[in-house]
Amino acid sequence: MSTPMSTHAVHPVHSSEPLLSVRDLRVTFGRRGEQPFKAVDGISFDVRPGQTVGLVGESGCGKSVTSLAIMGLLPTRGNTVEGSAVFDGEDLLRLSPGQMRDRRGREIAMIFQDPLSSLNPVVQIGRQVTEVMERHQGLSRKEAMPKAAELLERVGIPDPKARLVNYPHQLSGGMRQRALIAMALACKPRLLIADEPTTALDVTIQAQILALLKELVVETGTALVMITHDLGVVAGLCDEVNVLYGGRIVERGDRHTLFSRPRHPYTVGLLNSIPRLDAPRGEALSPIPGSVADNLPWDSACAFAPRCPNALDVCVQQTPEWEGDDVVGLRCFNPMGVSR
Amino acid sequence: MSGSTGLDPAHDTRTGAPGEVLVEVSGLEVHFPIKRGVVFDRTVGHVRAVDGVDLTIRRGETYGLVGESGCGKSTLGKAILNLEPPTAGSVLFDGVDIASLKGEALRRERKRFQMVFQDPMSSLDPRQTVEALLLEGMRAHGLDTDASATHTRLRELMSAVGLPPSGLKKYPHEFSGGQRQRIGIARALSVGPDLIVADEPVSALDVSIQAQVINLLQDLQEELGLTYLVVAHDLAVVRHISDRIGVMYLGGLVEESEAGELYDVPLHPYTRALMSAVPVPDPEVEDSREQILLTGDLPSPANPPTGCRFHTRCPWRQETLCDTERPQLRVVDVAGSSPGHRVACHWAEEIARGEIERHEVAPETTDESSWGAPRDDGSPFLAPDGPPVP
Ligand SMILES: Nc1ncnc2c1ncn2[C@@H]1O[C@H](COP(=O)(O)OP(=O)(O)OP(=O)(O)O)[C@@H](O)[C@H]1O
Ligand SMILES: Nc1ncnc2c1ncn2[C@@H]1O[C@H](COP(=O)(O)OP(=O)(O)OP(=O)(O)O)[C@@H](O)[C@H]1O
Ligand code: SF4
Ligand code: SF4
Ligand SMILES: [Mg+2]
Ligand SMILES: [Mg+2]
Repeated sequence: MSTPMSTHAVHPVHSSEPLLSVRDLRVTFGRRGEQPFKAVDGISFDVRPGQTVGLVGESGCGKSVTSLAIMGLLPTRGNTVEGSAVFDGEDLLRLSPGQMRDRRGREIAMIFQDPLSSLNPVVQIGRQVTEVMERHQGLSRKEAMPKAAELLERVGIPDPKARLVNYPHQLSGGMRQRALIAMALACKPRLLIADEPTTALDVTIQAQILALLKELVVETGTALVMITHDLGVVAGLCDEVNVLYGGRIVERGDRHTLFSRPRHPYTVGLLNSIPRLDAPRGEALSPIPGSVADNLPWDSACAFAPRCPNALDVCVQQTPEWEGDDVVGLRCFNPMGVSR
Repeated sequence: MSGSTGLDPAHDTRTGAPGEVLVEVSGLEVHFPIKRGVVFDRTVGHVRAVDGVDLTIRRGETYGLVGESGCGKSTLGKAILNLEPPTAGSVLFDGVDIASLKGEALRRERKRFQMVFQDPMSSLDPRQTVEALLLEGMRAHGLDTDASATHTRLRELMSAVGLPPSGLKKYPHEFSGGQRQRIGIARALSVGPDLIVADEPVSALDVSIQAQVINLLQDLQEELGLTYLVVAHDLAVVRHISDRIGVMYLGGLVEESEAGELYDVPLHPYTRALMSAVPVPDPEVEDSREQILLTGDLPSPANPPTGCRFHTRCPWRQETLCDTERPQLRVVDVAGSSPGHRVACHWAEEIARGEIERHEVAPETTDESSWGAPRDDGSPFLAPDGPPVP
């Protein structure tokens, strides 16, 4: 960790079978007396061992709900979950809460934006890490303690032995996130879902955490689902990128193609609206007009139509269907750079 | 956009020409006492939030302040607006020390500088209509004298920030985040300020909305000749809108330069690390560029390291000077660096010429009791031991 290095995503071509296969996932929140709200409206994607798949989109597009549904962490009432999420041959959405609890923390782990919410505030960091090892690797606490210190050191926590007896509130945000990654490392999950793991952190700390995640994927072959609103993070980390809008995936591609030849007007709009550190200065940004409040229902239109510079008549009359497969794809009647 | 707002750029208080010094900060320090004890508040130390800053902001320019959470950006911005009393040093606004003013004179000066906050929701009173919010500031400064002029002004303000006049009768919660930020900007503009301090003006907004607000700020500046101090942690945003940028580390400026040059020729090791850490939405760039990963966290501002404050994390740290003498901001003679470019590093020339090699840094334990930059979460200081009291 302390070695200054240039960190590339160095993932091989993914010929292997998907480890997680999400198909037509739908999550509807039923607010009493109101129209049911489709937070996730038919999302499908695959993740293979050693692959990093990004879910990117603006606030409210359904990123977190997607991951919570897969992890069985949505509130038990007030929503319906449809579709399937097959992990290693087994549909996670059909498991009992007890079975799911057993998978979580062992085979599947999740890290959140706010690490404090996933750490127990009244248990020392060392105990929390060793607990995972005791539970999943059958070690005694005595055996696990030195391993825990080793792990904390690996994730770049200074003076790890002293940190073992600290409580979460005594660590900074970056330390806590690293402690959580240490716990994820301790159970060697096959699938890791990271929901905005660096959004609350400074860029220099973010760079450390992202480097750590890359290492984890390369070294252990963990499959990583990376949820973020930051296209820069996606560009450096993800093999495959899914752009979400209004609860659906609107474009998918490998990161090189998606960033060099984006096709969906929303993807293009996003890329044109962010200032780049390395771009020539002085050029005005091109914002996407309006806001998500203007969205149309997907049932009979393209949700993005009111904000879309390419919109045609058909866009407000019909739903653009997904054209593509589990590697590339697009949902648009009039994509960029085609019939214009 | 120019000419479309109807707001008058030649405001009566605005006298100076563009390029003149508007704000002059010298030797500014803001220290907060750290209190301990339940019954008797004992001061057990000080957070050196701003610890010796010199900078000037010229009329009509945008000065950007960047740096890690807790480095003192917001405190510096507030001190410049006289919202935080300085422990030492001075802030001159058009040559006048605001801290020395009282009564009517202070009130008159006050309307010349305004603040735009990060979270538009928490900075706008939810029980007031937009009209009432805008009128509040104008009334406080005696600008609401003629009903028909006020009526016109309110509509002009709304149009200046791209909102329909019908919005005046609505409440903040009826607007989206981006629209609320526009209301915050309209409120700042309502009293006709010269300087606007914008603290993280777009960080709470969605990416697609950020650009709308950034463009609005730029258009208004051009049209009204405003001067901005923009405080933000997003380097790409700051570089985009600023003319000059100051990089802060633990309460002090470590580098200051013209915005483009800071990225092209970063001279301070911390700036280099910061620049290399900002993700760029381009896989080719991400794959090819070299990252300088820093180890550890920002040391506590209550107990900053001796000498150069960055020496505990600096990959170029040297045996001499670095941990004993605090480097001053100075102009250096390095290829590609212009005279306005200042840096606080003893070894800036040697590093720029490649005469000093980068080396590994072991993460270092810093101050135990207040580890990690306490954020603006209302509880900056933590008990040294034991679980939190529920
Ligand atoms: N428990 C819930 N009950 C009702 N609606 C919900 C619930 N959780 C989420 N939603 C709604 O579902 C939509 C998607 O939310 P989600 O949290 O997945 O967004 P997100 O893409 O993660 O956004 P962010 O970037 O802000 O985290 C939002 O409109 C949200 O308000
Ligand atoms: N009123 C206060 N009382 C005590 N300490 C304070 C106060 N305000 C700020 N601080 C401390 O001063 C330091 C600088 O805070 P400041 O808010 O200026 O940082 P910042 O650079 O704006 O950080 P951020 O990016 O998180 O907003 C921090 O350690 C903070 O905890
Ligand atoms: S389907 Fe139509 S409205 Fe939707 S993104 Fe494509 S062109 Fe735009
Ligand atoms: S003065 Fe020394 S420690 Fe400080 S930035 Fe320069 S080389 Fe690094
Ligand atoms: Mg979320
Ligand atoms: Mg701040």
